[in-house]
Amino acid sequence: MREPSAVAESSPVAVTQVQEQTRPWSETLRPYLYVAPALLFFALFFFYPIVYMIYLSFQDWTLLNLEEMEWVGLDNFSTLFSDPDFHLVLKNTLIYTFLTVFLGIAIAFFLALWLNRKAKIYGLVQGAIFSPHIISLVSVSMLWMWLMDPQYGLLNAMLESVGLPPSTWLADPGTALYSLVLVSVWKVVGYNTLIFIAGLQSIPQDIYESAALDRSPAWRTLYKITIPMLSPTIFFLLVINTISSFQVFDTIYIMTQGGPVNSTNMLVYYIYEQGMDFYNGGIASAASVVLLGLAGVLTLFHFLFLAKRVHYR
Amino acid sequence: MKKWKTNLLVLAVSMSTILAGCGNQASSGSTPAPQSSQQAGEQPAGDKKAVEIDFWYALSGKNGEYIEKMVKEFNASQKEVIVKPAYQGSYYENHSKVLAAVASGNQPDVTMVEIASIGAFADAKVLEDLGPYANGEESKYIKGLMGNSYWNDKLYAIPFNRSTPLLYVNRDMLKAAGLDPNGPKTWEELKQYSQKLTKKEGSKTITYGFSTPIDIWFYEALVFQSGGKVLSEDGKQFMLNSPEGKAPLEFWTGLLKEGIMKAPPGEKYNAWDVAKQDFLNQQVGMIFTSTGDLKGLVENAKFEVGAAFLPANKSYGVPTGGANLVVLSKSSDEEKKAAWQFVKWMTDTKQTIGFSSETGYMPVTNEAVESADMKAYYEKQPNFKVAIDQLQYGAPRPMVPGYKELQEVIMTEIQRAVLGQASVDDALKAAEEKAVKLLKK
Repeated sequence: MREPSAVAESSPVAVTQVQEQTRPWSETLRPYLYVAPALLFFALFFFYPIVYMIYLSFQDWTLLNLEEMEWVGLDNFSTLFSDPDFHLVLKNTLIYTFLTVFLGIAIAFFLALWLNRKAKIYGLVQGAIFSPHIISLVSVSMLWMWLMDPQYGLLNAMLESVGLPPSTWLADPGTALYSLVLVSVWKVVGYNTLIFIAGLQSIPQDIYESAALDRSPAWRTLYKITIPMLSPTIFFLLVINTISSFQVFDTIYIMTQGGPVNSTNMLVYYIYEQGMDFYNGGIASAASVVLLGLAGVLTLFHFLFLAKRVHYR
Repeated sequence: MKKWKTNLLVLAVSMSTILAGCGNQASSGSTPAPQSSQQAGEQPAGDKKAVEIDFWYALSGKNGEYIEKMVKEFNASQKEVIVKPAYQGSYYENHSKVLAAVASGNQPDVTMVEIASIGAFADAKVLEDLGPYANGEESKYIKGLMGNSYWNDKLYAIPFNRSTPLLYVNRDMLKAAGLDPNGPKTWEELKQYSQKLTKKEGSKTITYGFSTPIDIWFYEALVFQSGGKVLSEDGKQFMLNSPEGKAPLEFWTGLLKEGIMKAPPGEKYNAWDVAKQDFLNQQVGMIFTSTGDLKGLVENAKFEVGAAFLPANKSYGVPTGGANLVVLSKSSDEEKKAAWQFVKWMTDTKQTIGFSSETGYMPVTNEAVESADMKAYYEKQPNFKVAIDQLQYGAPRPMVPGYKELQEVIMTEIQRAVLGQASVDDALKAAEEKAVKLLKK
């Protein structure tokens, strides 16, 4: 493999150093002026709310009465972490995220390998798999609720017709979380597949040709060429899928409302429930800070430990 | 400084409200209510300009359509007030939207609030004290329905769509099984009836005798029937970790184990819908649901529907339910006056008779119950009278502010017990531990 990194790293630094010494003030300022509107927008709608949310997590407050806020320090956090329901919520969120991300990426990867061909039929299948991505998650949830109805649902009818025992789907604490995973995997697979196919098509054919000349078996080609060459794609999907799974809300709100017995209650729904149903603004803010922290830590982990393994051409 | 912060928070909240697709009309800014109220007061240049008020309701389907019709009638009946009605989803959803709207300053002027949540709203000073408006007139409402109208001795809410749970039976099915078509009178009879009505085909149950959502409301009813209470009189003690609190759960889990009762799947009102659907499809013979479902069930059933008291354990007993109308304190004086005029009209004898006969909810004034119209209607449709008769065993729902969250906690715990995730004792003990914290607030 070529090693362009040494050149790429050293040259821009040298160039900027030279420029900075000779550049007049207005020149230095200009780029900042260009990004100022965007930066202002970010500050107002992203940084400020985050900082204010952290501030709110130290208060005891409710939306019903904003005049009466009380500084309670870390009380909200200690209440949160001593609440067994919150432990369950964290556990559910992690299981859900892991399964959704893992299955969503693995299935999409193999689908992409299969669909990365030229005939028309593959394009059609690809379109069909992608279509869930553009349907509103609310309608998707309603549809799956019907499909998963334990008594009248299509899924159980199908299971029974091939002689399998019916499932309880959303009705039982033991199966509800996995049913939600199923829906989100179904929803995300099409998008992931599309990204994978784009990735596959950007791999130069000559590498495969030389592998074929060397009589590399299919599995080795996959392991030594396809996967490394796709690693930026995998990394990208990993990061965005993790973050979006962490923030799952719509399906829970429509399909289970966190139940039965909190078995599908996850972070964002918990925040909604605390803030909007129970009027515990402080607890909701504290849980939001936890969400921010967790998503941040996971993303950092991805970048620190996995980014090294990503091979950019 | 404080105000500046509040305004920004309000901005954030209103943004989120818009994002959530609540469809409120754009708020005119984040100015706190008192100022905007004065502006609104100055606005009408001509002497008599109609006051526009917003009314949020939480009933869907036929019942919702009838509310829309009533509002139209009210608007046509006079010229001073124009009411703009808006459906906001279930009680839960409506509460959340009212909360968000109050925070962002574009709250409705009149809304329905589920009776157990009135304490929470009143305690946060969101509701207008209606005492001065009613001025003693409130005595015209049925006393048994006023239990959730007062908070700290002030009148905050007027009964509107009020209900009790009823036992609905499929009379045709009961007759075919050789049972009394009026339905079971006691828990023991409910069990016997369920045994007789349950039909199996191999290992699969085709028909269940009985079904009820595992909902706090029905649980409260069964606790009352067992001689118990949810909270002590002062609202500070949790009373369910007791024989009276355990009896209902043991009764339900017993029926479930025997395979003669179905616990409908789904959360909150989804489970209610399943129960009703199963009843209409004749897959269960008897269900508990609200009297507000009476009209809909009678109209859609292909069999004779009977309504009866909830069966007694030690005695009969039911919580009242449904929603009351409230006026929001942040509205301007003019809007509040208009709002009261509307509330008064909606709950007046003539309107409540119409609403009751079209939905199954109880009429709310004494005069309505005694009226010739209502009596003639009951003569024709005796099912509609059951809820009113049952009211003599009715009790208000707990309404301390903490109960809004506590009822969800109890519901989760009783479901845990019913689904076999925990023993009855453990579930109620867990509920008690959380209740102690919540009731301290």
